Amino acid sequence: MRTTRRELLAGAAAAAAPLGAALPLPAYAQARPLRVGILAPRAGVAGTVGEVGLKGVEFAVEKLNAAGGVAGRRVELVIEEETNPRETVERARRLALQERVDVIQGVVSSGVSLALGPALEESRILTVFWDGTTQDGVNETMPRPRWVFRSTDNECEAVMGSLMAIKHFRGQFLTVAGINPDYSYGRNNWAAFLALLRRFNIEHRVVTEQWPRVGGMDLTANVAALKAANPDLVFSSLLFADLPVFMRQAHAAGLLEGRKWVFPAAGFQHTALKKEFTPPGMVFGHNTLYFADPQATPLAREFVQWYHERTRDWPHWEADRAFFAMEVWRRGVEKAVQAKGGGAWPSNAEIAEAIRGIEVVSLGGPGRMRPDGVAEQTFIQGLTVHDPRYDFPILGPDRITRMDGRQLQKGPGQDFWRWIAEARFDL
Amino acid sequence: MRGGALLAALAAVAALAAAPPLLGEYRTTLLLPVFGYGVALLGLNLLFGYGGLVSFGHAMFVAAGAYAAAVVTGVWRIESFEAVLLAAAAAGLALALPVGALCARYTKIFFGMLTLAFGMLFHSFLFKFYGLTGGDQGMRVRRPTLLGLEFEELDKTAFLVGPYYWYCLAVAALLALLMWRIVRSPFGLALRAQRDNPRKAEYLGVEVRRTRFVAFLVSAAFGAVGGAMLAVPTGLADPELAYWTHSGTLVFMTLLGGFAHFAGPLLGALAYVLLQDWLMSLTPYWRLLLGAVLALIVLACPQGLMGLPALLRARLAARRRRAAAPHPAPAE
Repeated sequence: MRTTRRELLAGAAAAAAPLGAALPLPAYAQARPLRVGILAPRAGVAGTVGEVGLKGVEFAVEKLNAAGGVAGRRVELVIEEETNPRETVERARRLALQERVDVIQGVVSSGVSLALGPALEESRILTVFWDGTTQDGVNETMPRPRWVFRSTDNECEAVMGSLMAIKHFRGQFLTVAGINPDYSYGRNNWAAFLALLRRFNIEHRVVTEQWPRVGGMDLTANVAALKAANPDLVFSSLLFADLPVFMRQAHAAGLLEGRKWVFPAAGFQHTALKKEFTPPGMVFGHNTLYFADPQATPLAREFVQWYHERTRDWPHWEADRAFFAMEVWRRGVEKAVQAKGGGAWPSNAEIAEAIRGIEVVSLGGPGRMRPDGVAEQTFIQGLTVHDPRYDFPILGPDRITRMDGRQLQKGPGQDFWRWIAEARFDL
Repeated sequence: MRGGALLAALAAVAALAAAPPLLGEYRTTLLLPVFGYGVALLGLNLLFGYGGLVSFGHAMFVAAGAYAAAVVTGVWRIESFEAVLLAAAAAGLALALPVGALCARYTKIFFGMLTLAFGMLFHSFLFKFYGLTGGDQGMRVRRPTLLGLEFEELDKTAFLVGPYYWYCLAVAALLALLMWRIVRSPFGLALRAQRDNPRKAEYLGVEVRRTRFVAFLVSAAFGAVGGAMLAVPTGLADPELAYWTHSGTLVFMTLLGGFAHFAGPLLGALAYVLLQDWLMSLTPYWRLLLGAVLALIVLACPQGLMGLPALLRARLAARRRRAAAPHPAPAE
């Protein structure tokens, strides 16, 4: 059955109604559109990640505008590319000073966010990051941000993956190995895994640590080293295009059989990890969006379908991060507008203040922006199964675990490593 | 400096000094990397254009300057930008002493490959030594004071497009004047002589290796000062600054402006920054177009933008000569 454009728009408007109609808001229909600047990688190792995030933004804006915009004002996107820190700071300045955007959203790389955060904070530019919050240096660079809102910590998935490994594989392994990307994110994830093994008094022995270059496509030496070490369990936070390459090479070398595998961040590559070289029974992290989530909201199901129709692929978590950023900003704007009582449009300072403590339901589940400007979202991981409907592994419907960000992320002002040592974890 | 060149330089500095209110905030911020890269490229071109030595690792000195700025402002908590510039020059020289002592023994592809290797070694050091350098996350560069003034009342954008802009313009102008004196000095003459015919230069009493070594040191100091100037607007020193692709970008800028002209690198920095800004706003495929521009320059205008007027004049003259020449009589 073909759907006409009119029917599609009517359906989109109906589905988006809860987004815009929850609060009685004064109309600013005659005002100029709100301009949202987006910074996303569009090439290189994180290029596909950026493209999925852009789809999440596109979907969110389509829904918002179909529902009458944000507080009666349409939303326009201005997209710039995230590259290295210096260039991305320049692109952000272009968005703020030349394009006069009302808010900047986006960013995947921690290296970029560490440069961009202080630069935008010092320039008083309202910003909501999608991603890029690896621990090191984040607290030092922006102790009490007023204008910049950070994403949930990058290490959340490693904490959850480690807890999942302990829950499902306890007593089934003694020797462990790690193959993690050679930068702060990979090193922190591996350190967090080992810290949690110690925390739960899991007897273990590290037999090898492999640190391939991010985006490096020849991992045969790492595969050989893992094979020689013969670990019972392998923990890997590989997450870019190097992950499918590693799996192919590991499969060819016979490394995959007879071991436990923990991949807390593999969701970035889920559709590229084909069944012929990706075994069932792995701990597999989908971060904040699992495309086949049986408990997904109607909005999330609609997005997955919308995405699939346009790309013939299934989305991953960067789409949810982008949707979440747009949603907390929208809610902040509407809250600030309502607080003004229909008078003048609120300032960015008032919107920033209104965003603190906002609760939203994003595509992957409920989340919030903490009063200290750090996001908390719902994380989804599980054990993989081979399902005839897909040529890549999905999560077994009865082996899916959901955890709220509060259980996976340090509290305001806390040190990550001290938090891991002292927090109460519920397996 | 000849009268015409002096006047042109003064006019350019005056125009740049008066530019911020006309350009607006964003375009003014775009000129900040032009000043930083301009200084670094003046140094690079001392080796490349005047010394005939193409360095593919020069970004290491830019990175050294940026990390010096991070250490001075972030670790030592010294906020003076004058101290930052001095520390950057010292860091560049300290790095260039051992590297230059080895590289100055070689020329052509061997010099290029050695500088590339040392550049990547330095990148690996910055990337791997987390405790010292912050690894892939780099080190924060805090906002400095200028001549002891804090400008606390200005947010970062106002600081950058105001006092910092004029300060960097002045630094770039002074260093350009210094480089002009260097290339016009007997040392500059010796450097050109060893480029054109090293054996003959040695017969004439030029100490070729020492000349190359000193040029390497000066070049490194300029690169590091340029790196420090670049780091303040970004607010971060990160290992990508030392990556080989950044060294390639520096060579690209020099070729774009014209390595055979003193002002070529300055024009190259300006043209590259504006071209990249325009292309990035235009299309996600901007890298492809930048590559096409580089290919076009090498093929059609090897003297770069500074050589373009002379190239056009020569082509016009050749066309006129062809038009004026009597047509040969048809063969019987």
